[in-house]
Amino acid sequence: MKVERKELIVIGAGPAGLSAAIEAASHGVKATVFDENARPGGQLFKQIHKFFGSKEHKAKIRGFRIGEDLLKEAEEKGVEVVLNATVIGLYKEKEVQVQIGTEVHHYKGDAILVATGAAENMVNFRGWTLPGVIGAGAAQTMMNLYHVKPGERILMLGTGNVGLVVSYQLMQAGCKVVALADAAPRIGGYGVHASKLARCGVPFYLSHTIKEAEGTDCVTGVTIAQVDDHFRFIPGTEKHFDVDTICVAVGLSPMAQLLKMDGVEMADTRGGYIPKCDETGATSIPGIYAAGDVAGIEEASSAMIEGRMSGAAIAEYLGYMTGEEKSSREEELDHSLEALRQGMFAPKNRGKKIEKTEEGIDISETLLTKGYIADDEIKRFPGYRCEAKVHPVIECTQNIPCNPCQTACRKGCISIGDNITSLPISVKGSECIDCGMCVASCSGQAIFLVKKNEDEGTSEITIPYEFLPLPEVGDKGSALSRSGQRICEAEITRVRTSKAYDGTNLVTMKVPTAFEDSARFFIKA
Amino acid sequence: MERIKNHPILGASPAGKLVDFYYDGKKLQGYEGEPIAMALRVNGIMIHRYTAKRHEPRGVFCAIGRCTDCVMVVDGQPNVRTCITPLREGMKVQTQYGATADPDFGAAKKGKGGASV
Repeated sequence: MKVERKELIVIGAGPAGLSAAIEAASHGVKATVFDENARPGGQLFKQIHKFFGSKEHKAKIRGFRIGEDLLKEAEEKGVEVVLNATVIGLYKEKEVQVQIGTEVHHYKGDAILVATGAAENMVNFRGWTLPGVIGAGAAQTMMNLYHVKPGERILMLGTGNVGLVVSYQLMQAGCKVVALADAAPRIGGYGVHASKLARCGVPFYLSHTIKEAEGTDCVTGVTIAQVDDHFRFIPGTEKHFDVDTICVAVGLSPMAQLLKMDGVEMADTRGGYIPKCDETGATSIPGIYAAGDVAGIEEASSAMIEGRMSGAAIAEYLGYMTGEEKSSREEELDHSLEALRQGMFAPKNRGKKIEKTEEGIDISETLLTKGYIADDEIKRFPGYRCEAKVHPVIECTQNIPCNPCQTACRKGCISIGDNITSLPISVKGSECIDCGMCVASCSGQAIFLVKKNEDEGTSEITIPYEFLPLPEVGDKGSALSRSGQRICEAEITRVRTSKAYDGTNLVTMKVPTAFEDSARFFIKA
Repeated sequence: MERIKNHPILGASPAGKLVDFYYDGKKLQGYEGEPIAMALRVNGIMIHRYTAKRHEPRGVFCAIGRCTDCVMVVDGQPNVRTCITPLREGMKVQTQYGATADPDFGAAKKGKGGASV
């Protein structure tokens, strides 16, 4: 049998695999990436939201654009990407079997990186196999890659970041999200993501899960019910929704089968069955590495840094870098990775209930259970301020690693400081020039510009808006509160779109001043 | 389900080349190169197959070629993952019963108390 020799074989052309190949190639390693899909990029091209983090993490850039940049960089660095190539075997001698079409090819790598990512989890409920019950990732694939609506009326199960982000994307695709349910007592993902849904009127049902998906040929409805502390249904709490689609976002599991097959030491952890590896992804077999979700579920930004770290370690392993050069590169990347692993949602805080922010402020309980900050909670956060002249109100109340708003403002109106998980402060006395860059740069859509027209008793609220149709100046309708309730009449006075805003339009509505602290969304008529 | 014509972030959807294909003998249209499963969905078809033992309907679940729930008989070949197989002009796509395109397959087995395939 013919065995072809490769210097570095990367399995998986997602964010981790491509980043590793690029990093290794930039030090001189010849890298070959195999991917079973027809397109490279893994799940990045389905991510149409703006990413979190700081500039080095490509914050405020939409996922699919990061994917485009990665592909371009891989091409520039001479990385070979082989598509429609399914790796079906990996052996401890660093041998790889790849199925391309109906043929199986055999390769031997001087180093191997496994970056196969993760698969979606599923939960059982009556009717769970009916057509119309889909994974949240499937919904993203349909709407964001192939421009097909996954359904018309949808219930989302799961309130982690995937459930929250995909629900919002479903609404952007023109679908109706009837509710989100989660068996857990608190929303699992970022509060800012939940708030984007809540202010559009989408209800959250915590401590609720699906009792039954209804229908004979396909989903025609769903019944959810409340669960007790032991996740048993509480009789009489059933709620029915007419839906044609049920989306399931209940976590991911690492796809580590190849690593298990080659015999590296594995560990059964709360985050799944993963290889034991050091921070560069080196497994128990010299020359075999793992990076990205396969080595422990995180997200794309950290997967890209992990990939880079593995790429540098592989370059050293293959003799393209000295130990010293590698250590210095690793230190730089580690710093960047550590920054992402801080805050309330850090891996070390998983499953813990955080009651106070790093600043010592009580966390909004309403945000954790209903998806919005209550009117009497918002004023205790440093992003809130009340002034007559235009100023930003930043409704970012959980410590997450993200700071684009600070650099977006050239007038010093927003301060986070060096620690990127700190809550943004709306700086008193600073001179906002109403440029709107902070509103557009906030990946969580949590910044609003507020201005009082004292002579006429009105206030103008500028909100981020990412739906179609875009309201027009002169449109009359209602302002919605953070919880999505119609609270007063509103008229659109300004609509701004700009390439610099990257798809986040700025819509300004005029409301009675009494509602300036509560009006956060607009609905026509 | 409908196609998305205009999207607030992705803009106008790219215009594909419409081609004919056959679903259980019926002529339908879809965009060349899109996954078969997408073309079926926009034509309102949710059931891709029936299971062998219980004759239960199945459709798309993962849409990335992992779960195999969406397999159908395509151009005579069973177990084709329609979510990752590109649509071509004139393709013959059939509902799969157990592992065949024969509607009596699953039903007959069911009548006999069930057998596994």
